[in-house]
Amino acid sequence: MDGKRETIEKKAHGMTSTAMTAEAPLLEFQNVSKIYDKTTKALSDISFKVSEGEFVSIIGPSGSGKSTILRCINRLVAATQGTIHFDGHDIGLADKREIHQVRKKTGMIFQHYNLVNRMSVVENVLHGRLGHKSTISGVVGFYTEKEKEKAFEILEKLGLSDQAYKRCDELSGGQKQRVGIARSIMQQPRLILCDEPIASLDPSSSKVIMDHLSDINKTMNITCLINLHQVHVALKYSQRIIGITSGNIVYDGPPESLTKDLIYEIYQSNEGELITDVE
Amino acid sequence: MSKEQSTKVSTPTAVATAPTPEIDTSYFTTIATSAAASTTFRSAELVVEAAALPLSSDSSLAEDLQKHREKSLRGRIKIGAKGMSGPVIKITALVLIALTVYGFITFDYKNIDFFTAVAKTLHNVRVMFTQPHLVYNSFPGLMWALLVTFALGALATFFGAIVGFFGALLCAKNLANPIVGNIVRAIVAFIRAVPTVLWVLIFSVAAGLGSVAAVVGLTFHSAGYLVKAYSESIEEIDYGTIEALKASGAKYWQIIFQAVVPASIGYLTAWTFLRFEINFANAIAIGAAAGAGGIGYDLFMASAFYFDLSELGFITYTVIIAVVILEIVATRIKAKVR
Ligand SMILES: Nc1ncnc2c1ncn2[C@@H]1O[C@H](COP(=O)(O)OP(=O)(O)OP(=O)(O)O)[C@@H](O)[C@H]1O
Ligand SMILES: [Mg+2]
Repeated sequence: MDGKRETIEKKAHGMTSTAMTAEAPLLEFQNVSKIYDKTTKALSDISFKVSEGEFVSIIGPSGSGKSTILRCINRLVAATQGTIHFDGHDIGLADKREIHQVRKKTGMIFQHYNLVNRMSVVENVLHGRLGHKSTISGVVGFYTEKEKEKAFEILEKLGLSDQAYKRCDELSGGQKQRVGIARSIMQQPRLILCDEPIASLDPSSSKVIMDHLSDINKTMNITCLINLHQVHVALKYSQRIIGITSGNIVYDGPPESLTKDLIYEIYQSNEGELITDVE
Repeated sequence: MSKEQSTKVSTPTAVATAPTPEIDTSYFTTIATSAAASTTFRSAELVVEAAALPLSSDSSLAEDLQKHREKSLRGRIKIGAKGMSGPVIKITALVLIALTVYGFITFDYKNIDFFTAVAKTLHNVRVMFTQPHLVYNSFPGLMWALLVTFALGALATFFGAIVGFFGALLCAKNLANPIVGNIVRAIVAFIRAVPTVLWVLIFSVAAGLGSVAAVVGLTFHSAGYLVKAYSESIEEIDYGTIEALKASGAKYWQIIFQAVVPASIGYLTAWTFLRFEINFANAIAIGAAAGAGGIGYDLFMASAFYFDLSELGFITYTVIIAVVILEIVATRIKAKVR
């Protein structure tokens, strides 16, 4: 039954993507607002588009709404106003089943990795498949040999295959984040959302993680939308940067034209008050 | 505000005039004198502090310094968070002490001489533990009875754990709907408030006195206990893990068994074993009280029927050894499920 639904949906998916690649972007925010608890305005009237294959960074001060943007896409939070289109789905109108489809197609990577610490590295990577499996085989943790092979392939690619049987709480932060990446690749997503993926890592692990994300974006054609606190990292890796300040987009363009003054504007501070190594 | 405080600080009479309920006042007077002493010391200290600041010419500064400090009746600076918990705890303690005193005063002591009573009790204990023997029961019979008690405890724990687990999913704050959660918590609190033995007796109305009523009653209370213990263990786990699987499209039961259970299994087993120990002890008591059989019933017969202290001693030793073995096994298993 599950299988049948999947084939129908694959057809639908094929149609939408062939019909839409020409003009429609993969992701589109149209006048989206989000108000938490009827009082906290996190996003006000935000509009932007992301095309397939892009590598986009979102920068902005703490509390400006970066995480909220990502969470609206896979409906971990529901937008209050406006419409979000992702790969032919209208997120606001989607029912439970459609949300499930959307989540299957979007990987998410977190600052604190959010792995199941007691389980092995491979098991955590295989968790990326849960959305594709029947409830019962997911519950008992039954994976096909093909899925397991795929998991090991991904681990190999991320340089973690020697850690496969370790428990996740025995790994370093950088390794954990690579497991997080492996888990989301396992989903075979169209879009990966990263919420401050390197905020808890040292500079060299950060580089490894960013290089992997950049590589995934190029070789697998997975679109990446990344929240970053490190402006210089955003400048180095992104094709496009979105700067937001208290829920408003104040910059949307290529890294080359993001001037120092604009950065100060995004972070609402004066010259000399920021720790950035932008020259 | 600051005026009010200054009166509190400067006049120890405020302490004496404060409404003191009908309790021994000598305690308070001693405090009042010591408070007077400490107050003078403290105000002197404050003056020094204010003088040390560059803006000391402004006399309102000293008041500013005082503004956020609240003082107790004794003139000391309060440090606890606001709320009723302090007074509530004090009142509870006073009520308990009063009840205890009342109890001791109104006991019917039947003219027992305290020292002979203690001496005789010690003698009985010595007979129990130094001369254990088995006359009315056979050793295999006793082992069988022990097994029956063990089985009662194990069955109750098993059923209680299953009900407890699903109940916990319904009321753990990081998983459940808040309304459903509150309803489940209320029901469970009620179940726990009624003692186990009472549940057994309640169920014995339908099932008759015996092992069925015992298991059902024990299960009932165990489930209530484990719902609370399990749900608190589940609440301990990092919500991020749940969210990560949710974001990847995993379904509810997949999240439960792939993230929630693995992350909390250590706590879950620890609580289950603790409850098993409790159930084993309860099964002994209920064996006697509800005629559910097992070693508790033999214990009851030896003491209330045969008045045989040595037999009682032997059975007690058996129970103690069984409990120790149980504890060792439990510790081993818990260490494995680290
Ligand atoms: N679950 C929530 N309930 C209520 N308010 C929230 C919630 N999540 C976020 N907010 C509020 O929404 C605003 C935007 O938060 P958001 O987490 O999107 O910011 P951010 O840019 O990701 O910040 P940071 O860089 O610190 O992670 C903040 O004012 C925050 O307090
Ligand atoms: Mg954030």
